[in-house]
Amino acid sequence: MIMNYIKQLITVTSWEFSRFFKPKNEAIGIIIMLIISAVFYTASKYAFSEKSPEIEVYVHNDTNGSLTEILKDGFIVQQLPSDRKDDFIKELKVDKNKVLLDRKEGAIGLYAYKNNRDIKKLKSYLDDYHKQMELQKLGISAGQLASVLSPATIEESFVLSDNSRNRIILAFFFAGLMIMAVFLSFAYQFTAITGEKQLKITEQIVSAISPQIWMDGKILGITLTGLSSMLTYSLLSIIGGVLYFQFTGLPVTGILNFLHLPSIALYLPFALIGVLIWNAILAAIASVITDPNNSGKSSLMMLPLIFVIASFLVTRDPDSGLTIFLSWFPLTSATSMPMRWAITEVGIWQLTGSFLILVLTFYFLRRIAAKIFRVSILLTGKEPSWSEVFKLMKMK
Amino acid sequence: MIDNMQNTVLKVTSISKSFSNVKAVNNVSFSVNHGDIFAFLGPNGAGKTTTLRILLDIIKPDDGQITWNLDGISNQMPKAGLIGYLPEERGLYLDIPILKSLVYLASIRGMDKNEAKKAAMKWLERLELADRAKEKLQVLSKGNQQKIQFVASILHKPAFAILDEPFSGLDPLNQEMFIDFIKEINNQGTTIILSAHQMQLVEKVAHKIFLINKGEELYNGNLAGIFDSYGNKQIIELHYKSGLNEDLLRRFAGAENVEIIDNIKVKLTIKQNYDMKSVLSDLAKLEGVFDISSHKPDLHDIFLHLVKSH
Repeated sequence: MIMNYIKQLITVTSWEFSRFFKPKNEAIGIIIMLIISAVFYTASKYAFSEKSPEIEVYVHNDTNGSLTEILKDGFIVQQLPSDRKDDFIKELKVDKNKVLLDRKEGAIGLYAYKNNRDIKKLKSYLDDYHKQMELQKLGISAGQLASVLSPATIEESFVLSDNSRNRIILAFFFAGLMIMAVFLSFAYQFTAITGEKQLKITEQIVSAISPQIWMDGKILGITLTGLSSMLTYSLLSIIGGVLYFQFTGLPVTGILNFLHLPSIALYLPFALIGVLIWNAILAAIASVITDPNNSGKSSLMMLPLIFVIASFLVTRDPDSGLTIFLSWFPLTSATSMPMRWAITEVGIWQLTGSFLILVLTFYFLRRIAAKIFRVSILLTGKEPSWSEVFKLMKMK
Repeated sequence: MIDNMQNTVLKVTSISKSFSNVKAVNNVSFSVNHGDIFAFLGPNGAGKTTTLRILLDIIKPDDGQITWNLDGISNQMPKAGLIGYLPEERGLYLDIPILKSLVYLASIRGMDKNEAKKAAMKWLERLELADRAKEKLQVLSKGNQQKIQFVASILHKPAFAILDEPFSGLDPLNQEMFIDFIKEINNQGTTIILSAHQMQLVEKVAHKIFLINKGEELYNGNLAGIFDSYGNKQIIELHYKSGLNEDLLRRFAGAENVEIIDNIKVKLTIKQNYDMKSVLSDLAKLEGVFDISSHKPDLHDIFLHLVKSH
């Protein structure tokens, strides 16, 4: 009996997995993504490196030459004779690379053809010039000012540290992958179940296998599909990380700091059961939907968004009553509990308890999903309401 | 265990099923012996598909008992590999290669994948579709898709096949082909329940008949027996040159039943022991009639008679 269940489950799981996980399509998707990234990177680099003609700065009224002196470091600077000012301003329409700075009492007039990156750079020099002038008035040296503006020196020492910043990053990474796996599964689950209903294949299949095996196979197969995509993108992220470390000149071994093994050992099972739970919920919803284009129940497929919200709430205050609840509530605990573990102090009993609830919830949800599917496949025509479905579930 | 009837592979005892206030199946009983082609007949909504779904454990009966004896010991639902099912509402994966779909459907019934592949290729060769095995089902014509669906239901060589409306949507040539397939798998040892509307096709293959209407049994017995019980009346067919007069025909004293086939053709079931000479003489006087023929009732006629008089 159990052997037969396992054999049929493997058959359905591998069928669903092979239906949706297409290594060739996955590879094409990744290649397209890499090409687009490379094009954007190169294009933006080219755009920013493009050299526009250097501007020529003309200074008016700089009697002591202090402004000219500062600007010399970054620009071609010339003094403008006082009688040339009006003509110069008129000629800016033609001499587009020229800029006039007119020193006035308490202000500097800036005349240019248009605002651009060079003007922004010029303004930063003018800010420095303004500071120097003000410091001279107060009699403070540049070194003294730097000391005033520097942040406090704090020697940090925490009881609970354990490389927690890297653990939080890893927790976010897993939560992100998990959300991705759930939303990918959403698309597959929809196609798999409503598609089979519309193609009228389900009756043929449930005459051969029980609705429970069919549902378990679908949940597992599509979860595997989602996890395979997760794995692909994890590997890509690691490769991306290695490249980042190389480009920034940081040691590549730095990436190992993020691969905190105890965290991975905790996040993986939570993520796995979390994706399974959401797949069971999505499968139950999809079972009731007759026409996905016109069903009001399709919007329920956005329910996994509460994952995202829960994850952010935990980072804001990991020890509040709400986040403690979220870390135990099975629809959010898969991301919230590991996140809390990374940020604050969480006992082993809490981790175990939350995980057990997660597993038990999955066990019962898959049974409910199979029951909903069993009564829904035989309902044709008008899409049943939830109350009709639950009424039918109570019948034999 | 089945009442010491070693030859009986399925026994249905007093099953009933209701949906809301509608009694879809009402106290239905029958048994199927090994090697039978058991025709399950009835008009639309008679309860045929509900009964078949109950047999397959897709839905549960409110009352009654189903006893199977396919593997000699079982009295519950047999293993999936022993049953083949062609549902009335059928379909296959349109976007998946034909061979892959066939192998999958056979493998969920427990057939070895390699064996399923070989068997599928043999069937595809017979259907002259072997060169399209790797194509998606959606590229095939509707008729060919029907054939693939039939193959999917019997590929694993089941001991018992339930074929719900296997002839629907087929042209006469393909209907004949399916008749041959059904006879062939039956000769190879598969017991068959066949639900169909095409009485002339059912007559060609069925050994036993079960007629159901409004969820209730109307007839249960041998094909020959139904003719013995209901086939001793006379059917007269009238052909008109142009439009017939329906009111006049319905008032015809000798007719027990009047079936208007179309505007120029009508079938009259003559009351038993009615004087045929006077019937023929009266009919010959009808205006516009150019051909009169008579025959014993066929299954179609008996089916209509029983359903109408229920």
